[in-house]
Amino acid sequence: MPPTVADVSGLLRVLAEHDVEFMVVGGVCALIHGAPVSTFDLDIVPERSVANVDRILRALLSIQALHRDLAGGSIAPDPSRLRGSGHNLFITRSGPLEVLGTVGQGRDFAALASRSHPVDVGDGLTVRVLDLDALIEIKREVGREKDMATLPILVRTLAERRKLESDPQTS
Amino acid sequence: MGHREQADETKAVADDGVDVTLIHWMLSLTPAERLQVLQSNIRSLEKLRGAADRR
Repeated sequence: MPPTVADVSGLLRVLAEHDVEFMVVGGVCALIHGAPVSTFDLDIVPERSVANVDRILRALLSIQALHRDLAGGSIAPDPSRLRGSGHNLFITRSGPLEVLGTVGQGRDFAALASRSHPVDVGDGLTVRVLDLDALIEIKREVGREKDMATLPILVRTLAERRKLESDPQTS
Repeated sequence: MGHREQADETKAVADDGVDVTLIHWMLSLTPAERLQVLQSNIRSLEKLRGAADRR
């Protein structure tokens, strides 16, 4: 049965508890960096080794993940699809989760790892999050209408963060 | 609207239409608090949707 409320922190915890190596991208990434945006799902880019995909699979099974299917079918997570570069859209008991093999122009976990950092998101949970400037770059690469709509907010948030970092007294 | 209020509004909203005061507020929070804001917003919207569905 689909959840009535998305539980972003719950999804992050399940992934962490299963030792999944991943980074947070998308709207939750923007929000964690301080952008005033809202979202209803969690987007992640996982490391795609066989061992990590196995861990993702176990995490997905623990939250009864099924591929989101417009035709109403119940498609279980498929390891071969998770190892690919495509986007896997799931509905889980903790809300929608998107597992993205690559983002932007074919950038995967390995390509983005150096542009991400661990962030303490509370309750003893630390997750790797894509840097805000990299997220902006990717949104520009993709260039979809929905990405371009939030771009000014992200760019302004990055500018304000940099101002604060260079002169914390101005806040 | 007086000149002072006008100036304040100009400061709050950047040329690109982005509300800078909201960004400042978000940046005053920790990442954990930002996630709580998101979670709270989602719950509120769900409640509103539930209320609308019951009409």
